[in-house]
Amino acid sequence: MVFDVFFLQQVINGLSIGCVYALMAIGFTLIFGVLNVVNFAHGEVYTIGAFVGLMVITAMAPPLLAVVPLVLAVGAVSGVGLERIAFRPFRRFTDEASQKSRAMREATLLSSLAVSIVTREIMMHIFGGDMQGIPSGYLLQQPVAIGPIMVASGSLVIFATSAVMLGALQFLLYRTQTGLGIRAVSNNQLGARYVGINTDRTIVTTFAVGSMLGATAGILVGLYDGAISPHMGFAPGVKAFVAMVMGGLSSIPGAVACALLLGVSESIATEFLSSGWKDLITYSLLVITLVFFPQGLFGHGRERA
Amino acid sequence: MKKHAVFGAALGAVVGAMLAATAGATVAQAADREIVIGYQAPLSGDRSQYGEMFRNAAQIKLEEFNASGKLAGAKVAITFEDSKDDPKEARNIAHKFLDNSKIVGVIGDFSSTVSMAAGEIYAAEKMPQLSQTASHPDFTKLSPWQFRNITTQAFEGPYNADWIIAAGKKTAAVIYIQNDWGISALDGFVSGFKAKGGKITATEAFNPGNRDFRSILTKVARQKPDVIYLAMFYEEGAAFAQQREQLGIKIPLYGTSSLYSPKLIELGRESVEGLHLATTFTPDNPDPAVQTFVKEYAARFKSEPGMFAAQAYDAVGIMLDAVAKAGPSVTRESLRDALAATTDYPGVTGATSFDPVTREPAKALAKMMVKDGRFQVVTGP
Repeated sequence: MVFDVFFLQQVINGLSIGCVYALMAIGFTLIFGVLNVVNFAHGEVYTIGAFVGLMVITAMAPPLLAVVPLVLAVGAVSGVGLERIAFRPFRRFTDEASQKSRAMREATLLSSLAVSIVTREIMMHIFGGDMQGIPSGYLLQQPVAIGPIMVASGSLVIFATSAVMLGALQFLLYRTQTGLGIRAVSNNQLGARYVGINTDRTIVTTFAVGSMLGATAGILVGLYDGAISPHMGFAPGVKAFVAMVMGGLSSIPGAVACALLLGVSESIATEFLSSGWKDLITYSLLVITLVFFPQGLFGHGRERA
Repeated sequence: MKKHAVFGAALGAVVGAMLAATAGATVAQAADREIVIGYQAPLSGDRSQYGEMFRNAAQIKLEEFNASGKLAGAKVAITFEDSKDDPKEARNIAHKFLDNSKIVGVIGDFSSTVSMAAGEIYAAEKMPQLSQTASHPDFTKLSPWQFRNITTQAFEGPYNADWIIAAGKKTAAVIYIQNDWGISALDGFVSGFKAKGGKITATEAFNPGNRDFRSILTKVARQKPDVIYLAMFYEEGAAFAQQREQLGIKIPLYGTSSLYSPKLIELGRESVEGLHLATTFTPDNPDPAVQTFVKEYAARFKSEPGMFAAQAYDAVGIMLDAVAKAGPSVTRESLRDALAATTDYPGVTGATSFDPVTREPAKALAKMMVKDGRFQVVTGP
């Protein structure tokens, strides 16, 4: 092993890719936390964010900072719509047996997958399967030299955004009334309902916030990558899922830490193995975590009903 | 009892309808035989952009052919099936095409892996198959029923290796996509490059769908090769070139013909400047056949056709000419023989001939490089 500047560059490369995973994992984990069920359509919200961002950029050429609030709004709308179509119908029974039913909850696994496939195919129909280029003025690809190390400006933006998102979410969850509601529903939906929390509204809020983060992630990664396509959400979605599981399912800081760990491990592994094997590293880490830390690296070890 | 009567009546109606349909079909056949070519390609999923180009180009060629009157007494139609770039789907489609007695030949699929999955079935059931893009060496070795009109990596790799050596560059790193095609591209180039005295510093695979090449670039740059040879498609090629620029790596890029697409420049912009590749098709070719195709394609589909559209256009042309040669009473056997006899088909990707024994195509490649934001033909090394 050589600890030279190339190795340091690999660590930085790994952190950049880890930040991309983390950006997606944040919204993903937030939504998982409140319902304890995977939202397969998160990758599509991410893609919608990217496409809406690109459409606005090509149509109006606004300053980049003006694109962000719009993408946030679109994210919120798609999150609310998604909850309405794929999740709400499975909560229409309010008796205790249905509320505790695993089957009712896990049916949303498939309904969210269905929404994800339908959305992706519609986007394919509208935009085509091709990669779409981003106008060069908006690309976050300028090389930035930090001593002998090179990073893209997008990596720095994505790193900063992940940090801000994480901080803001922690504030929301632990310092506000809404956050208290989200945590209560996440802990025990039935109990939360009994103490008078409007669970439906809390869940909708969570989807809106989670999807706002997802859509922002999509446009940022698109600007950083230089190209977007209707399939762009899939690969980071899988990595975000792995990071979430490794991090203990509902711990957002845990998911972020694991996303960075995944990125750096993949990147350093490329030094020793052919990069075709890097997914092996990801899934080995997942298996090792599950065997030795069944609650995840940052899990609370609470009982899951 | 009453139920049975109702069921009987329904059955009677269905059988009657079926008989009527069959009779109708026979009448139509007597008037003007309908010959069908099956076309399987990824029309959905993340390789669907290729399937779309194939379908677009095929439609243009088919209309030209039917209007040309080359085949009297029959009309040719193409039926498209979506293989989703998935070997399982491709096998299902193969069975479906085989069961349709009107289908005398098949074009497709897109990738070598998927084409070969379907090809095994066509080989066993004796259906001529012509792939516009499957360039894995083993594809045509499946059986005498497989054809392709794209040059293989066994031909292209050594061709590019000669070109790089002639330019005075002695060491190369190869980055390839981890699939059948990528591995054959790697083998073709590495054996050709070593045979000419070149040295390979590294070979790095990446998984399909990968968008981050920074780790590979960092690893490869450490050994400072004279060139980086890319065996991949334009989406990855553009991302690779951009990330190379971001990391400040100046090693020149060479690549396989699969990178040749206007989209490479659209996505990669300045970062792909100086990339070298050799290809069969260029829309700038002054040949009138090429210009007609380019204008027609651009007028209908609002985009400039790339190598893939051109390959499909020629594959359909070769197939249809073989049908015309075999005549209106064409069968799967006679179509195969007519395909095998293809010599100097005047296509937009250069005159194509099939070797009667190996069924491999012979073509000339044009050397190109990206200069001032477009592909330009290079003369000399």
